[in-house]
Amino acid sequence: MDKLLENEDDRVTGRAVVTGSATYAAEHQVPGTLYAVLTGSTIAHGTITAMDTRQAERAPGVIAVITHLNAPPVPGYEPVTARITKPEGGKGMQVFGGPYIYFNDQPIAVVVADTFERATYAASLVKATYQKEKPETDFTINIEERPAVDGPRFKDSTRGNAEAWKTAPVQVSEEYILPIEVHNPMELHSIIALWDGEDKVTVYDKTQGVISTQRSIMSAFKLKQENVQVFAPFVGGGFGSALRTWPHEIAALLAAKKTGKPVKLVLTRNQMFTMVGYRPFTKQKINLGATADGKIIGLSHEAHSITSPYEVFSEGVINISKTLYDIPNVFTRYQVHPFNVSTPTWMRGPGEATGAFALESAMDELSYKLKMDPLDLRLANHAEKDPESGKPFSSKFLKEAYQLGADAIGWRQRNPLAASMKEANMLVGYGLGGGLFNASRGTAKAIATLGANGNLVVQSAVSDSGPGTATAMVKVAANNMGMPQDKISFELGDSSLPPGPTQGGSTTTSTLGSAVHIVTSALKAKLIGLAKKSKTFSSTLANAHRPDDLVAEGGMVYLAENKSKSISFGELMKEQGLTEISAMEESKPNEKMKGYAAFSYSVHFVKVLVHPLTGMIKIDKVVIAGDAGKIISPKTAESQMIGGAVGGIGMALMEEGVLDHRYGRWINNNFADYHVPVHHDVPLIQALFVDKPDLILNPIGAKGMGEIAIIGFAAAVANAVYHATGKRLRELPLTPDKVVA
Amino acid sequence: MADNNFLPEKNDNFLCPSRRNFLKQSSLITALAMAPPALVKASEQGLDEKVASLFENQSLRLTVNGVQKELMVEPRVTLLDLLREKLHLTGTKKGCDFGQCGACTVHVDGHRVLSCLSLAVMQDGKQVITIEGLTDGENLHPMQQAFIEHDGFQCGYCTPGQVMSAVACVQEGHATTREEAREFMSGNICRCGAYPNIIDAIMSVKEKGGSHA
Amino acid sequence: MLNFDYVRPTTQQSALNAIKKNKNSAFIAGGTNLVDLMKRGVATPEKLVDISRLPMKEISLVSGNIRIGAGALNSTVAENDLILKNAPLLSKALHAGASPQIRNMATVGGNMLQRTRCPYFYDTALPCNKRAPGTGCSAVEGYSRMHAIFGASNACIAVHPSDMCVALAALDAVVVIANNKTERRLAFTDFHRLPGDKPNLDNNLQAGELIIAVEIPEKNLFSEHTAYVKVRDRSSYAFALVSVAAALSLNGNSIREARLAMGGVAHKPWRLTAAENFLRGKSATEDIFKEAGRIAMQDAKAYPGNKFKLTLAPNAIIEALKQAAGI
Repeated sequence: MDKLLENEDDRVTGRAVVTGSATYAAEHQVPGTLYAVLTGSTIAHGTITAMDTRQAERAPGVIAVITHLNAPPVPGYEPVTARITKPEGGKGMQVFGGPYIYFNDQPIAVVVADTFERATYAASLVKATYQKEKPETDFTINIEERPAVDGPRFKDSTRGNAEAWKTAPVQVSEEYILPIEVHNPMELHSIIALWDGEDKVTVYDKTQGVISTQRSIMSAFKLKQENVQVFAPFVGGGFGSALRTWPHEIAALLAAKKTGKPVKLVLTRNQMFTMVGYRPFTKQKINLGATADGKIIGLSHEAHSITSPYEVFSEGVINISKTLYDIPNVFTRYQVHPFNVSTPTWMRGPGEATGAFALESAMDELSYKLKMDPLDLRLANHAEKDPESGKPFSSKFLKEAYQLGADAIGWRQRNPLAASMKEANMLVGYGLGGGLFNASRGTAKAIATLGANGNLVVQSAVSDSGPGTATAMVKVAANNMGMPQDKISFELGDSSLPPGPTQGGSTTTSTLGSAVHIVTSALKAKLIGLAKKSKTFSSTLANAHRPDDLVAEGGMVYLAENKSKSISFGELMKEQGLTEISAMEESKPNEKMKGYAAFSYSVHFVKVLVHPLTGMIKIDKVVIAGDAGKIISPKTAESQMIGGAVGGIGMALMEEGVLDHRYGRWINNNFADYHVPVHHDVPLIQALFVDKPDLILNPIGAKGMGEIAIIGFAAAVANAVYHATGKRLRELPLTPDKVVA
Repeated sequence: MADNNFLPEKNDNFLCPSRRNFLKQSSLITALAMAPPALVKASEQGLDEKVASLFENQSLRLTVNGVQKELMVEPRVTLLDLLREKLHLTGTKKGCDFGQCGACTVHVDGHRVLSCLSLAVMQDGKQVITIEGLTDGENLHPMQQAFIEHDGFQCGYCTPGQVMSAVACVQEGHATTREEAREFMSGNICRCGAYPNIIDAIMSVKEKGGSHA
Repeated sequence: MLNFDYVRPTTQQSALNAIKKNKNSAFIAGGTNLVDLMKRGVATPEKLVDISRLPMKEISLVSGNIRIGAGALNSTVAENDLILKNAPLLSKALHAGASPQIRNMATVGGNMLQRTRCPYFYDTALPCNKRAPGTGCSAVEGYSRMHAIFGASNACIAVHPSDMCVALAALDAVVVIANNKTERRLAFTDFHRLPGDKPNLDNNLQAGELIIAVEIPEKNLFSEHTAYVKVRDRSSYAFALVSVAAALSLNGNSIREARLAMGGVAHKPWRLTAAENFLRGKSATEDIFKEAGRIAMQDAKAYPGNKFKLTLAPNAIIEALKQAAGI
């Protein structure tokens, strides 16, 4: 059946994207749309004592200026009676919910005008008077001594003896720092909101989950599900920043409500750093203890991260230490500490990527102490079953991935000694780093409709921020139906469709792909049912030995043992007078999975060139090998892995959010000063897959890929820089100043 | 490009009364015409400002994708916002609005520029080509086709800017090697990380004999 | 952005007259920095005088000099044959700056007049003596990673961000300036100024003046052995941590003359005269270049955030000299 797919690997969104006709959130043409622009606070901590909006209101074209003093009520908000002093989980910022300022650039007003230029200028005229308090943002100094958030998620965890590492003959004990990193998808977060009466609203929004956005709006404004319509046909990247509903979205809904007109709100690039989350600063301490032959006996992993004063954010920073290697004694501690910053959120690879930087760096350090190849150290501590739960893995082909990657980069051909290799005037280094991410399958509903013209439409309420969901789902449907892809389309980005998952946590293909597989199977069953009722086909049935054994495939129903005995889908539908036939199914997590642990795995091999005088690091070659189950769409899968590596290059070499702690204010919240990789930073990247199905997890055999593409990458680079220079860098990013220091 | 004698300096105030000049005159007029309480009220409501704003637009002639446009715009409107918000040509993207990402790249008189840092009024009389103008009817430009074939995008948001830049990069002769193309495409950021595929697309177009926009 | 009046005069004279009429007016050519500053409310001109179509874009030989019109685009200059042949260092520096699209917009005059990239200058919510004289310098005790190690004052430690200007400073260029009555010539190294107690002034251009051209001697000693090394946080489209323009005139392995200037280290392109003098007559060896780097650093003073420049800057000098000498 796979032969069918040859030359059909291009993205189904291709033409729309390259011609500019793909429509992103701010680009929907809604007649009479007004423009809304947010004004942010200029302090990080304090209370607004007065707002001066007169100048803004007088400015040409201004329709409304909304602040906490005149904002329409948000019924789902809890009444604000005092400053929040104890952050809680899942409590997002209540925009215009009171005079209290928790972070710099917190929205204090939204200005609505008839043009973008007028709204922007008027927003700069809004002034607030504050009672200032000293902001606390300096998480870089002794964060572990700062007050931490309590709760079950922050309990220390011990497997075996927490201090076993101390008894080992060979030890590594080091600290690793990861700065704030910011998602910065290319599309600015945007929304167009329009109310139809008091209790019905439509939004065109940038979201990784049309259903989750629908639910957030329902709960904020106490609306019925059928009265909240969310559209997101194209999403210009997210990497986690569009996983939740943010204050600017509620602000736009309020502005639309207040003016009675459609309102468009587009964040500025500066606001992308302060309003839609970021990967939090994290300081980690790793202790590893091993026998002289490289068997690790103990590991402790302590991580300290930041959150906002009003909301607890947590992620799986220490998870990787519990499961990546077969280590009998593991202690983990994870704490988050509130500062005057906005709430962080999951960013690609989330906590696992943060944790992997520390663990995989420490593993490399241990390998040099042991005088053992870093790859051999990993093989010596390979986990055959999940060390944390004791369960078998649903599938694990990490060793195969190691082999693929090592062969492709020539790992065994390098000189393993640090600072031993040169090319011209550059120091040469090879490094590796890997990781895992939970492979999961959630609940999803899809509907499949076959028309009399033979075209199949599959639909589900998901959105695609880049991986190519529609492309992959068309392939799943094509594979199951045995139909050519050009007869199939997948529709998404509309909350009125059957509910699909939020695109995050590397689960879309597994979750939604299962639903598409199941719904197309249900459709086939219906077609077989029609065949059984068919008058023209009944003679064939009567002659069959096993009349139940019918197959629906390739546009026809036929006898399993004799394909020439067939009837086309079209004829079956015509017979019944049907113009279309459809099936809707819900796919749920597999019961069988309860007995298994399921993860995707990756390993990154990197070759770097380090210029000894200027400290500039050039990534010369990258090989990523992944165990992501069955690869559904090879072309887009490869691109997704390459993209993760590019994100990893940013994380390793250049990304760092900087605040001036005197003001608690961002210093580099723009694309010139917050560096992300450009073309010239990126070499050829080879993405390789083991490509073996995990049929325990789901019927299509796919695990996830988005996260593992970046998890462990930064460590691979830092390890390669050590191999090149003999200098161990434990604080990201690896900028020239650190290399020459 | 012929310099059409737009707004000759010596009498520019007559041809296009500015908002500030209007304000100066209008406060006189209103002072004469209104009783003091009315004057105070008008000022409080910002009526002067609002009436004056009508005079802020300037005329602009522009050829966009071969179609001549006659427009009235505020001088502060950028070419990017003009395209997206007034002409509804949303293929040109806003990624940063400060010249730091390349998503807004268009061709003006045949050269790739950033429309977010280009004031629309300064483009008077010029030829603008956007991504929408790159296709020849139903036929994709070779660079557009190559982006699809080489999977030169994921989310697609930076893609129009990348394509416009890539077409120019080949035309300029800056795609002789992968290394050169990487340097001369570095003004176009792609956060999904489609870079190697984009360079593949560019090199394939280059090898097939370049591109013609 | 505050709205403004816009005029597009057709002659240099009418442009100069226009700018003189309104104190709060500004010239605009490429707009790559000015529009940025206006969007952020850092620059708020009431009137823009568009000089982008004035006939001052030519690159030609005038009495033994390569005369580059101030309106010439950065991309045009970088690929001009006269420049590539006689002043390849300028081409290298231009190609190290910004992006192809920005180089297609930015002019030579505009490049010279671009403002610092100090983050405090761009944020109207924070103190900055350059933007708002008398409010204080946020960088001195704040974020100073990108800041000056030469010639700074307590009032301002910002750096000039241009690459092009570093090469022009090294090449002994001359700036031709006009007002509505007359023209004057100024050594390129005297064009930009140190902050002192007036960091709001980046250069010595007077009100009502317009840069009309930059000149480089056609016959110069530096058409062969040149290098521009730019150390930055990513390999393209980023401002310099430090940059070095190096030009050598070699007789075999012996240095006849040397020109050295740095970017990212001072309020103006920083010419390293003492190191140049040291290099004259010496052999082109790594040891000699190391000593030149050491000499160049004699007056350097770092701030808490940019101490690394005391190592990185001399290293970059050594690298640039090695590349220029081809060793």
